[in-house]
Amino acid sequence: MSEDKPALIAEAAAVDYEDLFETAPCGYLSTDGNGRILRANRTFSDWTGFGGDLLAGRHFADLLPIAGKIFYETHFAPMLHVQSAFNEVALDIVTADGRHLPVLVNAAVRRDGDGSIASIRITLFKSTSRRAYERGLIAQRDTAEANILVEREDGELREQFIAVLGHDLRNPLAAIASGVRLLDSEVLSERSRKILTLIDGSVVRAAGLIDNVLDFARGRLGGGITLQREAREPLEPVLRQVVAELRAIAPDRTVDSIYNLAEPIDCDRVRIGQLVSNLLGNALTHGARNEPVRLNAQTHGCVLTISIANGGPPISEAARARLFQPFYRGDGGVREQGLGLGLHIASEIARAHGGTLEVRSDAAETVFTFTMTLMQEV
Amino acid sequence: MPATKALPDPIVARLNARVSGTGERFMLFAHGFGCDQAMWRYVAPAFEADFRVVLFDYVGAGGSDLAAYDPQKYASLDGYAEDVVELSRALGLTDAIFVGHSVSALVGLIAARKAPELFSTLVLVGPSPCYIDDGDYRGGFSRTQIDELLEFLDINHVGWSQAMAPVIMGNADRPELGEELTSSFCRTDPDIAKRFARTTFLSDSRADLVPVDARVLILQCRDDVIAPESVGAYVQAALPGSELVLLDATGHCPNLSAPAETIAAIKAFV
Repeated sequence: MSEDKPALIAEAAAVDYEDLFETAPCGYLSTDGNGRILRANRTFSDWTGFGGDLLAGRHFADLLPIAGKIFYETHFAPMLHVQSAFNEVALDIVTADGRHLPVLVNAAVRRDGDGSIASIRITLFKSTSRRAYERGLIAQRDTAEANILVEREDGELREQFIAVLGHDLRNPLAAIASGVRLLDSEVLSERSRKILTLIDGSVVRAAGLIDNVLDFARGRLGGGITLQREAREPLEPVLRQVVAELRAIAPDRTVDSIYNLAEPIDCDRVRIGQLVSNLLGNALTHGARNEPVRLNAQTHGCVLTISIANGGPPISEAARARLFQPFYRGDGGVREQGLGLGLHIASEIARAHGGTLEVRSDAAETVFTFTMTLMQEV
Repeated sequence: MPATKALPDPIVARLNARVSGTGERFMLFAHGFGCDQAMWRYVAPAFEADFRVVLFDYVGAGGSDLAAYDPQKYASLDGYAEDVVELSRALGLTDAIFVGHSVSALVGLIAARKAPELFSTLVLVGPSPCYIDDGDYRGGFSRTQIDELLEFLDINHVGWSQAMAPVIMGNADRPELGEELTSSFCRTDPDIAKRFARTTFLSDSRADLVPVDARVLILQCRDDVIAPESVGAYVQAALPGSELVLLDATGHCPNLSAPAETIAAIKAFV
């Protein structure tokens, strides 16, 4: 009995081996070196509806739709020649009744002694739902890409719109400003004069907002911030004018200023004025109302520093990290504080000057410091 | 005193060009859609004893500089022909032999017209000036079938994944991927492959089939679904004086499936 056992097992294994080939849960094809089918297993015959006889002698590529045939000639066959195997190929097999059966194909070649291809072994796995899933992914990718394009166009259009709008708003604002100047020279009641001061402040504030919006839109549209540097003209009068304008907006607040600008400064004075206006506006909005805002502008060595300090609760570290990003509007608090472009534009102006804008904030005070070298290096 | 070696022209690196062999005359092999210069690995060495053999990859294929891929330039075969001319001039080719497989056959004809001094012999392997049927012309495919091919290429990445891209783009900070690369041929960015397929299969280059000064050999396979015998005959009729050899090889790539027959046919002509 016991000596028969290995023989029985071998016999059973041989039967099972044949069965494994025929009924394995994948298709098996064996072809000659040119891709002509020598033998197909039963699984493949069942899937495709071709009896074994109908497959033998046919070219593997004949079972493929046109796209697959081209792919076979341009990729599949060349890859088998060049690297002897080609795996994970997604193909469709055209079945006997004309349906397309999605399969994933691995193929390997066996070579003759002279290196030419003797036969090709092809294994095919049904992959209907995987193919549907992959097609779904591709469709989603295509949709996402198309959406990105549309949104990019929308965004550009929006920014162009902002640029045009900002530009057009300047004219009526200029008319209001000259009206205010004309009225200012008239004899007015105290109440009228007070109202006029308020209107004037609002005009300055609106003009500042428009400047920021325009600069931002220009930056996004690729123009960037352009400078008109002029070292011969003094910066101080420009800064004094800015401080006066902001005092007019917030007459109940104190702005202390120290100027120590002995050296010529190679900068765009209007831009530096805009930077200081944005920082002062920010300090007046967010700083403690019962403490003064302090401006200190000085040249020292070959460096210009302008610092603007205010009291009040410190800016959190998280907020500080995002402070200079466009449209950032702080952690709640005061609502009517504008678009959140002021600090962003200020930092861009600093950058355009090759300088820096830094913030330090603790329980005692919050200080924004702009630093630049007095002369551009040539 | 050692001769100062001139720096190679940038086009050489851009097209991953390799020169081997000895001889007076240059012989330039151009691959077709789907693979790269590996297509010539069984054929080109047979000519190294008598010619200076040039192999290269078109921009977008094989080891070419993918960053140089310009969708607009390569939307037409003309863009590819420009590169062939630029490379040939950089290497100093004159009266050379151009061997072009499949779509490259047309690229060679366009290049020969642009710069007639470069090639005095053209070997066109499986040429087709137009793959789509048009009136009486039988290219073998309908527009719908070509569209199906383009869609089909989307689901066959041929060993390409986003993870591989940085390595293929020359950013080799992941050496384990590089190793896998060396053992794989004909890998292409699927987006570029699709664009090349569009250029290849949607181009109608029948107008480029005009008589050239160079001698022309057409190698035609049997049972070639991509370039059937009738198309080979059309090409021969359009190029007076050209010679057509019908190979016993079947399929579209005799350079791989029947290298000995291909070599013999080319040798007999050149």
